[in-house]
Amino acid sequence: MSDNAHSSADDSTLVRAAQNGDMVAFEELVARHRDKIYARAYSMMRNEEEAIDLSQEAWVKAWQRLKQFQGESSFATWITRITINLCLDQLRRHKRHRSESIEAMDEESGGVERQMPVVIINPTEGLERGELRQRIDLALGQLSYAHRTVIVLHEFEEMEYKEIAKTMGCSIGTVMSRLFYARRKMAALLSDLKKPE
Amino acid sequence: MNEELQLKVQAYLDGELPAGEGREMADSIARNADARALLAELKNTRGALKAFEAEIKLPESRDFYWSKIEREIGRLEKPHSIEEPAWFAVGLRRIFAPAGALAALLIAAILIFRQTPGFAAGEPESETAFANADAFTYRDYSAGMTLVWLSYPAENGFADFLPSDTLKYE
Repeated sequence: MSDNAHSSADDSTLVRAAQNGDMVAFEELVARHRDKIYARAYSMMRNEEEAIDLSQEAWVKAWQRLKQFQGESSFATWITRITINLCLDQLRRHKRHRSESIEAMDEESGGVERQMPVVIINPTEGLERGELRQRIDLALGQLSYAHRTVIVLHEFEEMEYKEIAKTMGCSIGTVMSRLFYARRKMAALLSDLKKPE
Repeated sequence: MNEELQLKVQAYLDGELPAGEGREMADSIARNADARALLAELKNTRGALKAFEAEIKLPESRDFYWSKIEREIGRLEKPHSIEEPAWFAVGLRRIFAPAGALAALLIAAILIFRQTPGFAAGEPESETAFANADAFTYRDYSAGMTLVWLSYPAENGFADFLPSDTLKYE
């Protein structure tokens, strides 16, 4: 396959070529999806260097496991799942290095969010798209790892409760409660920027 | 509103309730102002998150980013540089190493015996490289012959580093 053919081929053609050892085809796949994969790693880790390292590690793992990819999901979904799992492993390692339990802190703080008054205003009204994206990103950065992860998996990756529970290694009830607290906290953080001056 | 109802409102929004329970929940929400307000808030937040995920770009060039991936793949796929010896080489070594050492000892004993006082001048002489007891030289000037005995394979790899004058053929 020529370079031109690589750039015009669809993902499934490139995947088949890469499965047969075509490294140029794999490089093309990396070039196509590197921003999304990095963005997903960054959204979970909130650290540029770690996100770059983990996203690159995900690509290396993808190359090693390429033969296992059967096309049941899209290639982008498959490599994203590899990235998410690597990020979760890394977050667990971080957690082990910290003395306090993230889960315990999350559940405690969750109680506060549950009692908060409902935010009536729509946070998307009257804001520029770019500004809104930035504010949402900043608000996400203020969530705990566990709450942010559940938001990322549910809202951005559109995973169901059951799938999130399996991925994060917790119960569906825990997923529901973390998602609820995370959304309420996000609503509160976003409402702050809507308050009249 | 208790926590159970709050989580059910959320599950209703996410389409995670079974069909029958979903219809019941819709009725409950319609009758409960707090539940309606909560549903609206959750819907707004979900909508904002889904529609406005930050557009994060990789802060590295394509080539630079790829080069590290390519290097790591190459490193993992590189065959081991130090290969294990073949099974038959191991077997031969086990047999011949002790036999070689025994033969060297026998020759050394014979030569020492022959070099004891009383033997005439001009008798053959022998020399052992003490730095490496596996190398042994036997010279017979009358016959113009030099034999160098090496225990092979060398137990300590010394044969690879013998000084040039030790392995001399005359």
